[in-house]
Amino acid sequence: MANYDAIIIGAGHNGLVAAAYLARAGKKILLLERRSVIGGIAVTEEIFPGYKVPTCAHLAGTFSKKIILELDLDRHGFELLPLSPLLFAPTQDGNGLIIPREFPKAAQEIAKHSKSDADRFQPFCLLLKRLSEFLAKLYEAPLPNKANPNNFHLAKILELAWNFHRLGKREMHELLRIFPMSSADLLNEWFESDLLKAALAGRGMLSSFVGPRQQGTAFNLLHHQLGDSNGALPTAGLVRGGIGTLTEALFAAAKSYGAEIRRATEVTHITTANGVATGIVLESGEEIPAERIVSSADVKHTLLGLVEPTALDPHFLLQVKNIRSRGTVAKVNLALDTLPKFSSNDQAVLGGIIQIGPTLDYLERACDDAKYGRFSQRPFLEITIPTVADPSLAPAGKHVMSVWMQSAPYELREGNWHAERDVLGDAVVRTLEDYAPGFTNTILHRQVLTPLDLEDIYGLTQGHPYHAEMALDQIFFMRPVSGWSTYRTPVNNLYLCGSGTHPGGGITGLPGYYAAREVLKNWRSKK
Amino acid sequence: MANYDAIVIGAGHNGLTAAAYLAKAGKKVLVLERRHVLGGAAVTEEIYAGFKYSVCSYVVSLLRPEVIRELDLPNHDLEIIPLDSTFTPMPNGDYLFRSGDHARTRREIARHSATDAEAYEEYGQLMVQMAMAVKPLLAMIPPEPTSWYPGDVFGLARLGNHFRRLGAKLFYDLAKLMTMSSADFLDQWFETDVLKATMSASGIIGTFMGPRSPGTAYVLLHHYMGELDGAFRSWGFAHGGMGTISRVIADAARRHGAEIRSQAPVDQILIRRGRACGVVLASGEEIHAKVIVSGIDPKQTFLKMIDSQCLSPEFKKQVSHFKIRGSSAKVNLSLDALPDFTSMPGAGPHLAGAISISPSIDYIEQAYDEAKYGDFSRRPYMDVILPSVLDPSMAPPGKHVMSIFVQYAPYDLKSGVWPEKREALGDTVVDTLSEYAPNLKDIILHRQVVTPWDLEKEFGLTEGNIFQGELTLDQLFFLRPVAGWAKYRTPIKNLYLCGACTHPGGGVMAASGRLAALEILKDTRFSVL
Repeated sequence: MANYDAIIIGAGHNGLVAAAYLARAGKKILLLERRSVIGGIAVTEEIFPGYKVPTCAHLAGTFSKKIILELDLDRHGFELLPLSPLLFAPTQDGNGLIIPREFPKAAQEIAKHSKSDADRFQPFCLLLKRLSEFLAKLYEAPLPNKANPNNFHLAKILELAWNFHRLGKREMHELLRIFPMSSADLLNEWFESDLLKAALAGRGMLSSFVGPRQQGTAFNLLHHQLGDSNGALPTAGLVRGGIGTLTEALFAAAKSYGAEIRRATEVTHITTANGVATGIVLESGEEIPAERIVSSADVKHTLLGLVEPTALDPHFLLQVKNIRSRGTVAKVNLALDTLPKFSSNDQAVLGGIIQIGPTLDYLERACDDAKYGRFSQRPFLEITIPTVADPSLAPAGKHVMSVWMQSAPYELREGNWHAERDVLGDAVVRTLEDYAPGFTNTILHRQVLTPLDLEDIYGLTQGHPYHAEMALDQIFFMRPVSGWSTYRTPVNNLYLCGSGTHPGGGITGLPGYYAAREVLKNWRSKK
Repeated sequence: MANYDAIVIGAGHNGLTAAAYLAKAGKKVLVLERRHVLGGAAVTEEIYAGFKYSVCSYVVSLLRPEVIRELDLPNHDLEIIPLDSTFTPMPNGDYLFRSGDHARTRREIARHSATDAEAYEEYGQLMVQMAMAVKPLLAMIPPEPTSWYPGDVFGLARLGNHFRRLGAKLFYDLAKLMTMSSADFLDQWFETDVLKATMSASGIIGTFMGPRSPGTAYVLLHHYMGELDGAFRSWGFAHGGMGTISRVIADAARRHGAEIRSQAPVDQILIRRGRACGVVLASGEEIHAKVIVSGIDPKQTFLKMIDSQCLSPEFKKQVSHFKIRGSSAKVNLSLDALPDFTSMPGAGPHLAGAISISPSIDYIEQAYDEAKYGDFSRRPYMDVILPSVLDPSMAPPGKHVMSIFVQYAPYDLKSGVWPEKREALGDTVVDTLSEYAPNLKDIILHRQVVTPWDLEKEFGLTEGNIFQGELTLDQLFFLRPVAGWAKYRTPIKNLYLCGACTHPGGGVMAASGRLAALEILKDTRFSVL
């Protein structure tokens, strides 16, 4: 019987990153994936014959450049495709907003809506770019931590202070001020066109429980500019061959370093002895021992579902239960006969992100619905059509459309998701029909994934794609729970590496990367 | 040639406090007030014969004890009547009544939920601990985080050390509290909706946020931060109304030699060679002074009273970005008799405390949602007190006054203007309250409705914001009022701010006035002044 150095639960992008780095360091790794496909939420599935669909996540532009280089993902077939244009926000009157890749062209387009906004767009993007670059450095910094109270690195703190001061006085102030702000307040300071403000606010909104008028949403805006971005909008994100190519490349890298995998293998239990994790038990009853267990499943599932409650202290358990992970999004995947004809009638605008959400009020109202336990009849939609950039994903001339819909609360006050699934699907299609007349008739196939489906299929507790809300009180040293932000848990040798850990959600690979670094560090110090 | 050492613009409680401290230090001080009464938003006015209203602010809790001590405010004049209980009537005929009697409150909460009664104790203890941890910050000059000056670096280090010494658990709890929504925070502790709603209401007062908005939880602390007679967490009503507090501080200022002129609106601040040197009154009169201290908000101070060429565009932009949206209104009623609540009929101790119309979190959140889109709440959150029950001198014998704080009433209405909507708001308030106390409509003798527009026009509160600027995370501590200018100084030499727009912010604390005066004295210590 093989003796593994580490077992990784879940072959999502973070689990795969952790596996690859641990295997690269010479550890004997076993990956266990519940589904028969690997990739977690970054998968391409042929749910309709001939159509390769990003069934869950659809953009990967935020994925860490460092990981791509170090694991040589290009060689394993990963290629990011540029978004062009960056964004298209149609309106019902046909005067939609198009933001092309190049700043001069973007200014021309924005000028159709507001002259002064056109002048301010580039300075705004540059400011946000500087701030999000600092944020990326901040993510690298060590955090205060209970497991290791002497985690006080004066050198690191001084380095951070140095980096902070390099921003310059004005931008230091802006960073401190913008960080806890609402995105609506920030955008109102810069722009006058509601359509532009909504288009930018939408980039930080997906999966947020609160609308753009609420404090903390400006941080979400910055968080989503990690990776390829002009500062305010991602510039790449679609993947050649579908987003699943990313996780396949990660798996190929892990495999090249010797990691093993077992698919369709559900872990039901993490075994512990005297407060130390010793291995896992599979659904079949099979037990596999390992020196370290690294779970990329969400924090609540791992600690409340897989670990014996008696192994954890009640106060810690309470903190885990208090993690907010209220799912607010649903996914609708469509196979289309032809490209939709938005009133602008220009098909060259469909290669990037398409947003339905023309005003800040519209976005705010969409979020209001979740508070009262109902899904939006006028939802905010973030749409991509991956077949525009990569026609090989569908039969010739046909298209795949991927739609994130917000808000759709996991807990409905009336009715249940099994009964409401198609009602939600209809609401999304109806909304699109309003902006692209005739759209309904071009739909060949439709898949609707409610928050409940996201939980059932992808194992996301309450259907939250980020495992835990990215709110100001659930980031940095408070993610996943206060004092446990360095991927360890009160159970020795049990680590976390999913999106629920620092620095959080989105397809970045960073939680997996930092977790692997931490595991290896502890390994060395134990020897 | 200066006639005065310092001129203070605005005789609100902060302006008066600053004046008193400066006068006490031997400075020749002149306070200029636009209105005919002193006190700014802390006033008592007899709008209808015999009925005295605390027109705007209506309770006191946070008044800094060091101000009372240092200014030697006389205890016999400043009598604060404790306001310990909160009565929340519910639409279903039930109620929640929390009083100063600990055992009784516990039994009452247990009636709604046994686990909540348990949690209530523990919650109270934690909040007191956190309030103690935050209190030193209120008396602190915020250090500038972008500076390498030894004073600032030392201040930041001291701040870091303060938090480190709290211990991990308290530090983490505090970090969560600062960033969470009050609904989320209370959800961790309690299950009874009406309890959570009534508690969360204290987190939204004066803000343009709802109980589910992140950043509302830390305001919950304010309820545990009050310090009257050394006792934590007591709210009180000043004998004779809020005007008493202003009067007592004004008396202290005069005793130290300060001069106070009412009905003397300042039109312009005079600036010579980049230094403030005096003011011009609306009458055209010029008065000179070495130092000008503005107790009004930065928008009026910098964008209306100062020659625009004296300020950099960057600073003007910062000031114009200072958020100051008003969200609350006030309704004051003269009553022929006491209101009779369906859920707790007759007179009783529940009328001697606060009466909160906050039956559920959703109720308040919905009220907020309406305001977000530019309408006043159809069913608003209200904080009601009956001052005449505590202090019979506030109304003629047998009659009563009722003070109703109303939220939300946004300054910017989507349709219509406030002078046209004023009475509609008054009707909404009376209608809502009548659902809980049906006799209310029959006993109203007079009604005064103070909308955000009135707060601006009459009391000089820009956009009707009762805190002279929203208390959001991006406008607190070293970011208040604008980044880089949190130490009461301004880009114009000899011009200072001392209002609630500066750290530590709103509430009748008088802390801003005190800290501003101390900073001014620091600056002038070595000068010829």
